[in-house]
Amino acid sequence: MEGKKGGAVVFHTLILSYQTPSQPPSTVSTASSIRIDALPPFKLDLGDRAWTSVPHPTLPLLATTHDKAATVFSLATFAKHSALTGGHARSVRSAAWQPGRETAPPRLVTGSFDATAGLWSWNPAAAVNSGGGGGRLETEVKAVAKRSGSGGSDEEEEEEEDEWIFNLVLEGHDSEVKGVAFSPSGQYLATCSRDKSVWIWEDVSAGAGGDGDDGEDEWETVAVLSEHDGDVKAVAWCPDVPGRRSTGSGTYSADVLASASYDDTVRIWREDADGEWVCVAVLEGHDGTVWGLEWEQKPRPGGRFPRLLTFSADARIRIWTLRQGEADGEKADGENASSHPMFQSGFGGLPNTMRRSLREEWDCTAVLPQAHTRDIYSVTWSAATGMVASTGSDGVIAVYGEDPAAAKQTAPQTTDGADATAAAAADAANGWRLLATVTDGHGGYEVNHVTWCKRFDPGTDHKGEEEMLVTTGDDGVVRPWQVRAV
Amino acid sequence: MQKSELDNANPTILSVSQLPSRRATGGTARHGPDSKYDYAALASLSSDTPSWHSDDDIDGDYGDAHDEIWEAPVDEQEIYDLISTISDPEHPNTLGELNVVRLPDIRVTPAGQRSNLTTVLVDLTPTVNHCSLATVIGLAVRWRLEQALPPSYRVDVRMKDGSHAQDDQVNKQLGDKERVAAALENDTLRNVVDKMLETCA
Repeated sequence: MEGKKGGAVVFHTLILSYQTPSQPPSTVSTASSIRIDALPPFKLDLGDRAWTSVPHPTLPLLATTHDKAATVFSLATFAKHSALTGGHARSVRSAAWQPGRETAPPRLVTGSFDATAGLWSWNPAAAVNSGGGGGRLETEVKAVAKRSGSGGSDEEEEEEEDEWIFNLVLEGHDSEVKGVAFSPSGQYLATCSRDKSVWIWEDVSAGAGGDGDDGEDEWETVAVLSEHDGDVKAVAWCPDVPGRRSTGSGTYSADVLASASYDDTVRIWREDADGEWVCVAVLEGHDGTVWGLEWEQKPRPGGRFPRLLTFSADARIRIWTLRQGEADGEKADGENASSHPMFQSGFGGLPNTMRRSLREEWDCTAVLPQAHTRDIYSVTWSAATGMVASTGSDGVIAVYGEDPAAAKQTAPQTTDGADATAAAAADAANGWRLLATVTDGHGGYEVNHVTWCKRFDPGTDHKGEEEMLVTTGDDGVVRPWQVRAV
Repeated sequence: MQKSELDNANPTILSVSQLPSRRATGGTARHGPDSKYDYAALASLSSDTPSWHSDDDIDGDYGDAHDEIWEAPVDEQEIYDLISTISDPEHPNTLGELNVVRLPDIRVTPAGQRSNLTTVLVDLTPTVNHCSLATVIGLAVRWRLEQALPPSYRVDVRMKDGSHAQDDQVNKQLGDKERVAAALENDTLRNVVDKMLETCA
């Protein structure tokens, strides 16, 4: 009988010893052991289940989805910054900030159970009225300072209506939209739904791609991907790291999309030379709904293709690695060529039907040490440190680190975690260690989301650099956690 | 539910005296499920109420009766009492009377050393094995328990092995938080569930 909302935060930090490996000079930030400490929660109790909190890629803003709305928090003050309301008829499940808009007003897309995705833009006029001037970042912070000082809540509500403009509603899905994600350039938006499909939309607005002027918003459907046999729970685009171009050049364009499903599988999608989006791999291994997935954001040694992390109702986290030859981009080289004769020749001249059968080979190269007993709802993989954090139905928050010296980069793991012995589990972990856990992050409630997030609050000496964790729970509370080496 | 043809026109119905209760098993008088819920609700609303989940020793301040209320974990009989009074969506009977909910098919695993969570596992036995309403019944049971139990309880509702033709499919749906949340935002489904719960005191 633990934890009620509003009570003292009861949490337990377990610090596990972590053998310091002889580290290559490139992994300077890898901690030998860490501790997780609760920071004061964001100063607005949303009252009911909150689903997810997404940090802006550059600004000190965090968007939390809950009920039929999204609330934006300031990362400088941990207070409410603004709200996006009135755009959806049912719960807002997911959100994503459009990248590549450094000179344009921030834009958020929301995915809702009402089967639509909504496109919202920050209203620059509202920002000016809030006393802003100078740089945008400064503007946001000032707006926050003013807001938290004002007392009249009614007035505040009215003001908020104007802060975010509901630009466009993207309609097409037959049922709940579960996930939304932008490609690294912001050109493509992927949405996924209980209707088993993934839609890819392209921003064809005049001046799209962050050139500043906010003209008419225009989005086109470029693909509807319907190969999953169940709800598509989440979508994620491969980040634009050097390794992204280490394969597929000439055959596929650079953007790579991955989708996770209720059908227990993950699919990887690429755009071929004819502009058609095709499934190039099906990742099978989880024994339950795959709740989501996360690409490796930190560039890999040797410019290798980013790995993909997936997490599931089976309480496991798996890491998948693309099979590549020793020479990047030379798939025909190496041990795999014999089993895939088609890779031996260039396939530029093959007809479409055959091209579509060309698959990428992905191997499960690690199963992270088990820290959860129930569904894992969310995992985050730091671009800065390479550390992974997970959370889920059991309310546990766990942080893992990789010891590169102990990892075999390409060896496939066939060990099934369910019946593995301790030794086999260690082998499956393939260099990954559990660094620390918090056993009850949200006072007994389920935790729906965890994300690494840059700190901008006065508590850090490295604003915009130090990372913290932010968790979002069924208690409607958004909690920041300090994660530091000890 | 207005249906011209019932899935099971002649279900077996248990009389009140046949239903499991604390009295029948010779146990002591228990606190009713709704009073328990009220205590939980009060504890979360009133800031000056001592925290009932606190590690602090409150034995000195309260009598045995209070200890029982505040600290005794919910047991199988209490779970049964919470859900056996739910109405069947197509018969004028409760899930207890129709033997869809059975006391021996409820298992409570209290929080322990390894976990802060109490898990409640309920296996349901639909009246016929092709019952199209199995999902709705499961949804109502899950919803009822989530409303009534403290946040550190996890509720798993399943179809008893072999009792339903599409067990795995129904079980997976009922275990999917996102689907359950979306289903309860569906007005038609929500009305059916609310009507089923009207008979819960």
